[in-house]
Formats: sequence, C-alpha cells, structure tokens
Amino acid sequence: MRLRVLIFLSCIVLAGGVVRTDPGQTTSVPIHARVETLLSLFTPPALAAPPTPDLQLKLPLNPNSVRFAVIGDSGTGDLPQLQVAQEMEAYRQIVSFSFVIMLGDNIYGGDRPRDFARKFEEPYKPLLDAGVKFYASLGNHDNPDERLYKLFNMGGKRYYSFKKNDVAFFALDSTYMNPEQLNWVEEQLRNSTAAWKICYFHHPLYSDGKYHGPDLDLRSTLVPLFQKYGVNVVFSGHEHVYERLKPQNDIDYFVLGNSGELRYHNLRPSDQMQAGFDTDRDFMLVEIDADQLYFQTISRTGLTVDSGVLQRQSKSAGQEKTQN
Amino acid sequence: MIKGVAAVAWVLAANSWLMTQSAPPPKSSNGISVNQDSLTIQDFSKRVDEYVKLRKRMEAGLPAPKSKSSSADLKQYQASLAQKISAERSQAKPGDIFTPAVSALFRKLIAMPFKSGHGSKIRASLRHAEPVRGLSPAINQQYPQTVALQSTPPTLLSDLPKLPAEIEYRIVGRELILLDSAAGLVVDLLPDALPAPQPGP
Repeated sequence: MRLRVLIFLSCIVLAGGVVRTDPGQTTSVPIHARVETLLSLFTPPALAAPPTPDLQLKLPLNPNSVRFAVIGDSGTGDLPQLQVAQEMEAYRQIVSFSFVIMLGDNIYGGDRPRDFARKFEEPYKPLLDAGVKFYASLGNHDNPDERLYKLFNMGGKRYYSFKKNDVAFFALDSTYMNPEQLNWVEEQLRNSTAAWKICYFHHPLYSDGKYHGPDLDLRSTLVPLFQKYGVNVVFSGHEHVYERLKPQNDIDYFVLGNSGELRYHNLRPSDQMQAGFDTDRDFMLVEIDADQLYFQTISRTGLTVDSGVLQRQSKSAGQEKTQN
Repeated sequence: MIKGVAAVAWVLAANSWLMTQSAPPPKSSNGISVNQDSLTIQDFSKRVDEYVKLRKRMEAGLPAPKSKSSSADLKQYQASLAQKISAERSQAKPGDIFTPAVSALFRKLIAMPFKSGHGSKIRASLRHAEPVRGLSPAINQQYPQTVALQSTPPTLLSDLPKLPAEIEYRIVGRELILLDSAAGLVVDLLPDALPAPQPGP
C-alpha cells in the first residue's frame, strides 16, 4: 500500500502537478527539476548533502575588510535552499562574514509562522546562531509586512540603508518605486560620504535571463540617480539564475536569484554578459578592502562558478579588473 | 426672411461658443478657480483620507506592530486589522473612491505615458514583472498570500495622485487596485485602468 502511494506521488510530481510554479504562470519545469523536487519530498533534512570538504577560497581575507554573503530568491523551504545554506555555513567558518544581504523573494507562498520557520529560520539556523545578521529587501513574492520581521533587520521600513565601515548599503523596494522612495534614494545617495555605495533590490535593471528580462522602466528611473551619485555596485534577484554583467555606465551589476529557486538553462548570453550560471543554486561571498571588491560565487555543491576582483571606480574613469 | 433667421441662428451659435470658451473655470471649496481635473483629484484624495481615518480608528484598538516583531505577531496583526476594517466597511462597493469622474481621470492619466515615447518601456516592465493572471480582486478581499505582487512601474506612480503611506496602487491584470498594504485588503478597484495590450506582430 505504501509503495503504491509513493508511486502515485511520484507520478504526480513528474507530471508537474506538485511542482510549485509562479502563480498564474504556466511554466514548463524540466524533468530533472521534477526529479529533484521528488527526491526532496522523501529526503529528511538530516540526509541533505554535506558541504564540500575542501573549500576553495578566492577571497584574500584581509584584516578589517568588510565581508558579507548575498542570497536571492531563497525562500522556498526546499532541500536545495537548505544545501546552499549549509555551504554558506561551511564558508562562514573560514570567511567569518558577519551579515547577509537578501535580494527579495525571501518567503515564497504562504507567510504563516511555520513558513518563516521552514523557509528562513531553519535553513539558516547555524548562521543565525553564529550571530550573522540578515538584511532583507522585498521581492514580488514577499508580504510587505516582512519589513517588521525582526530577523530581516529592516527596521520596519520597506527601504532603508546601513553602513559597514566605509561601505554604504541601500536596500530598496523595487516592487513599488514611488516618488517618495525616489526622493529618499536621491537624498541618501547625495548625502553619503562612503567610499563604496552598494544598492540592492529585487528586480534587475540589466539581465540576460529569458524568463523576465530587465525592468526597463525601473532602469530609466534609477540609473540616472546611480550615475549621478556614484553608485559602485548593484545586486538584484528575480531572475532565477546567476549573472555578472559587464559594467554599464561605469557601474557593476550582479543578478543572483537562484539561492532557492532555479530556472535551468534560462540565460541567453549577450554582449553585456560577463559570466553566468544557470544549472544550479548558488550564493555569493563578497569582501571589500580599501578600493577592491573581491567576489566569489559558489554553487550548492561547492563549485566556484565565478570569482574576481573589482576595482572601485573613480567615477571620472572607471577601471575594472577581473579574474576567473 | 430665411436669410434673417439663418443670421440670427449663426449669431446665437457663435455667442454660445464664445460663452463656453470664456466660461470661468470651476471653483474649489475654498473659492479658488482651478481646472476640473484638480477638483476631481481633490475629491479622490478626500475619499482616500476618509478611508485612512476609518483605518486609524480600527488600528487604534490593536497592539501596534513593532519593527522587531515575530512572524506570529505579524500574522495576528494583519488578520485582526483586516477583519476590523472589512467589518466596518461591510457596505463598501466598487466606485466608492474611484467615482465615475475619478475613474475617467485615472484612465486618462494612465494612458498618457503609454502613448509617449516611454510607453514601450512601461509595457516591457509590466510584462517582465510577473503579471498577475486569473485573480479577480474584490472590495474587502485580502490579497492572496500565494499570489505575487506585480510591481507598479515607476512612471505610472509618478503620474498618479500621491497616496498616504498606508495605501498603494497595485496592478492586477488591467485593473488598478487600491491596496491597504498592512492589512492586505483591497480598498477599491478600477477596471480597465491600463490600456489593452498591443497586438503582437
């Protein structure tokens, strides 16, 4: 009888019936994604794949540098999210990053207390227990009231800023970029004296993802401000892939929307793409030391899929060096 | 005789036309002459303010949410607020805020940027922002937790009247809804607010 139930459930999943897709969408889910979801249904968290034993660190770990991790579109509560979180914890023990920025879609689906537990508190428990702080931005799948959730450190605001040493972070709400928020962004950027200005929000201004693509109206609204006030780096999610773009108007853009969700083979490389990864989940480590920003993007299996160093742009003549 | 009648008719018509051209603009409640659109927006803002007053009354009896709440506190607060507001507004109906005059003005305001050179960018943004399909919003209905919020293009937001922080303009299909974000409640809705999609090539 139990075997019959298992076979029945397997058929439903492989047919696409249990695989969560975006509401209102008719997304075609590849067969390997369905198999993965099926396996996750029967795999208790304790049996999740252990992190890679030999970590390949690409960051210099200079003293007094600012170190953080980046995740986007993470809040599925599924096994791959947990595996990414385990990989993050393995690296934290070496890198000692003290905070994580979240690029939105932090809690998919329902937002009951058990959703917060399953899609955030449990996967990242080792990080939370170690005192790592998470700074969230809101995605289109997030309840705006997440701004009040204590572990997201948003201070009750949908958009906010914070500073770590000489690095200023601006977490924006790209789902609702109204004139009030734009005025706030402009004032904050204008008044900031930080050496590095980093903006992060959910919807990408540039993207080679096939599913969504860039938000052109948002781009034409924000880019002039970013250029005028010397933003150095922009992180976004929404597109369930990883992409590093060539600098656009002297600003570096990253898309990372696959820390929980994934759209297999969804990148359509173009001239603006510098690096991309669309076959597994990942997260990013960043270290900023003086005029250098070192980055390393790591898959849930421990593979380094991209790494390099960005030189802080002198806004008169931006220079960038990368190494892979 | 006929020529005389025609001449009189022409003079009357011309006079009538001149009267309309030189008619003084309508006046606001404080007696200042303004254009009709301004009065319509004033009426819209007044109706929105009335909602916010009611909302504040309902909110007053609830423990204020803190910036460091637990997920259970958040859920409880949102459910309680939504319940109190919808009970108080049980008679609310579509058009209470989007009156016919307000609706006509909003459709005009929304159509303008679509017709400009910026229209293609707005359409692209709407397409790329996970358009909400298959949802029929209703007054006092809570926006479903499992349905993503489509982002509202910044250009549209810059052209529409400013709202208090408690309420947002959101898009569902071609409808524009007024959403109480903390309560997750649909306050009013405007059907066919967005221009129909352009036919593909």
